[in-house]
Amino acid sequence: MISRLLSWLRPAAPALLPGHAARLAALRKGITPDRDADLEQGRIVVVDVESTGLSLANDHLIAIGAVAMQGGRIVLADSFEIVLRQDVASGKDNILVHGIGGSAQREGVAPEDALLDFLQYLDGAPLLAYHVSFDATMLRKAYKKYLGLDFRHAWADLAYVMPALFPAPVRRCHALDDWLKLFHVDNDARHNALADALATAQLGLMALRAARAQKLARFRQLQEIEKGQRWLGAAG
Amino acid sequence: MSAIHSSQLSFFAAHAPFDRMEPAHLLWMLERMSLAYYAAGEVIISPEQGAVERFLVIKQGTVQGEQNVAQGGDADAWLELVEGECFPLGALLASRPVAGVYRAGSDTFCYELAAADFNGLLGLSTAFRDFCTRRIANLLEHSKQLIQAQYSQSSAEQQSLNSPLSAIISRMPVSCAPETSVRHALELMYEAKVGSIVAVDGEQRPLGILTLHDVLERIVLPQIDLEQAVIGIMSRQLTTLQPQALAHEAALVMARHGFRHVLIVENERLVGLVSEKDLFALQRVGLRQIGSSIREATTVEVLQGAAADIRRMAHSMMAQGVAPEQLTQFISTFNDMITVRVIELECAASGLCDALQQAGLCWIALGSEGRFEQTLNTDQDNALIFTVPDGMTAEEVRVQLLPVARRINVALDLCGFPLCKGEIMASNPQWCLSLDEWKQSFSSWIMHGAPEALLHASIFFDFRALYGAQNLAEDLRTWLARIARDNQKFLHQMAENALRNRPPLGVMRDFVVGKERTLDLKLNGITPFVDAARIFSLAAGVTHTSTIQRLRLSAPRLNINAGELEAWIDALLFIQVLRLRHHDALSEQGRGDAALDNLIDPERLHELDRRILKEAFRQARKLQSRLSMDYGL
Repeated sequence: MISRLLSWLRPAAPALLPGHAARLAALRKGITPDRDADLEQGRIVVVDVESTGLSLANDHLIAIGAVAMQGGRIVLADSFEIVLRQDVASGKDNILVHGIGGSAQREGVAPEDALLDFLQYLDGAPLLAYHVSFDATMLRKAYKKYLGLDFRHAWADLAYVMPALFPAPVRRCHALDDWLKLFHVDNDARHNALADALATAQLGLMALRAARAQKLARFRQLQEIEKGQRWLGAAG
Repeated sequence: MSAIHSSQLSFFAAHAPFDRMEPAHLLWMLERMSLAYYAAGEVIISPEQGAVERFLVIKQGTVQGEQNVAQGGDADAWLELVEGECFPLGALLASRPVAGVYRAGSDTFCYELAAADFNGLLGLSTAFRDFCTRRIANLLEHSKQLIQAQYSQSSAEQQSLNSPLSAIISRMPVSCAPETSVRHALELMYEAKVGSIVAVDGEQRPLGILTLHDVLERIVLPQIDLEQAVIGIMSRQLTTLQPQALAHEAALVMARHGFRHVLIVENERLVGLVSEKDLFALQRVGLRQIGSSIREATTVEVLQGAAADIRRMAHSMMAQGVAPEQLTQFISTFNDMITVRVIELECAASGLCDALQQAGLCWIALGSEGRFEQTLNTDQDNALIFTVPDGMTAEEVRVQLLPVARRINVALDLCGFPLCKGEIMASNPQWCLSLDEWKQSFSSWIMHGAPEALLHASIFFDFRALYGAQNLAEDLRTWLARIARDNQKFLHQMAENALRNRPPLGVMRDFVVGKERTLDLKLNGITPFVDAARIFSLAAGVTHTSTIQRLRLSAPRLNINAGELEAWIDALLFIQVLRLRHHDALSEQGRGDAALDNLIDPERLHELDRRILKEAFRQARKLQSRLSMDYGL
């Protein structure tokens, strides 16, 4: 915890190339996250990241996969996948998890460009993920380190939203895989960021459908039921 | 920026028609698709939504199509679509609303493409367009290619029967010395995995042959001492040909004598062996020779041999994936020839008086034999029409004919056509009738329409002349066509009866199946087509008896759309293919022809076959809808 605090407190002034600085400045205007996005018509991005490991403090971002939902559907063309260039490839055990090999890691996109690309892709859309704390932390650390940007976005966490909307099966579902299995969502390429984002988005579609049945219309209302569920979880 | 994950491509690549599309077109499609979710029970498309706006491919889950809801009440007429299937093609192509409701059967995810992009894809991809416009024909072609791929080796090796035997013999026969023990000879055959062994002397001159076929009769049943010399139990009567002789000569020798092996000798020395199996691989037309052997047969025993040959040949044709129309035609043709020869021989042997023969007798084939649709396990269905000579009564003629008919029925049984359990045979006094008596029987069935009469009609109205005075059968046929067409009430009853037999569709991931998890291809699959075709033909005054001919000839007279007609025929033929393949598989397992059944387990079918079968059953339903529409049922 201390080291995590320290990493945030560390002077955040990476020296940006002029091109990156200009692009960031242009994009920053548009990154106000839209908490009020309409669940039905608005654009919501489902994201999944791969990292060098599971430690929030010591591990870092390797890949981002994302896909957008709009009009109650996953729009396949509106998807995103990028591998961040690593100076040193992650360990063998880690490679076995996400399948991004050493050379693919070294040949990835420069982290600054990758993160700017994702910002541009995001275009202010609120984010949905399963176990947000992990994805959000990895992204924030990367944005801080490479762009000096404090990436605070509008997130909703399916790990809490799903049990709130589907209370009956909640006892059996803790991990993403539990939900995928429950609803027979196939994912042949688990731990590939894009494939995981897509599978998560399928749960997202189900969540949106259930939310509509409960007359929830705005993204912020998802965040509210998430809060309620967290409180329930803490109380239980 | 877009990223299409390779797992999505591999999903599409696993299902028709996407597996045949070019990758670029597949990507084009994927980039324009979205993925939608439908909760169990949710309506996906309905007629009320107007012209269809999107093309859907099921990613996971099931979709139920409830058809004919507009016509009311027919809630069971639905189909179930599963992973990889797409819909609603007909409505999309015609830019119209769907005819029935499509509903998610379970939590379902569908890839969706806007109608405009669907049309774009039709223009872009030939494979896709072909699939959409000729759905069943296209799937069938696909399946046929799979079958042919399985048998490609045998077709590649297919040679003409005009090749010299030297071109066919692939290996030296397994041989042994005459004094080798029976045990050792059998071991040699077993090790070499061959069906025969030839004993040769020191000069390689053949002395005798032992085949697997002989093992039961000469070794196992008599329980002989296995240590004795093999030559003692070998066939010493050897058929030999020179290597220059043509394959069809060997086929002829086999057909004529019922041998399964012909030895090839050069300068008296054994140089090879041709088995029936080798020849059947090149088969197609050695049939004429077999035909002449039947025509020239003088005893029932020879015909028995020919019947066995035909069966073996039919098995080999099945294994090679010959089209069902050709195969049933082949079986019918040869069965007809055998029957005719049996009748000729028995009539002569029984000294049937010439007066009767001259006055006119006609042996008629009924049921599947009458429709030219016999497979390998059909029993006898036959009858006699006779003319009553002046000065005699029908009863007097019958008394003379029945014993002869009995002999014929028994002889046919010996040739592998089992006696009919329902006694629908010419030797039954009920079915050995004068032309007038037949007309009376038919009339009473048509007028009364009792359940038994309807059953009889379904067997007897498929009659055709097989031997004798064809004009009698023609007279009866023309008369029937006229009477039946004018009797709407009877046709209505026939239709009602036919519609009781519903082809299964759907229920939990595929078909309605019985307790045994099996599906009766004949009863549930073929019979609906056969029954409907019979009614159509009676209504249209078509005199043909084959189901396909009946459909083809009736369609224009009943204003049945040509595309619809072809789909029905394709569907029927496909079910027939599955049935024959099933028979072939059972035979491979060693089941006798009499024990061949029509029960298949849909779970064990290839995915593509299962889809086509479903589509074929859907066509059977459409055919029945037409029937129920025509008769207001």
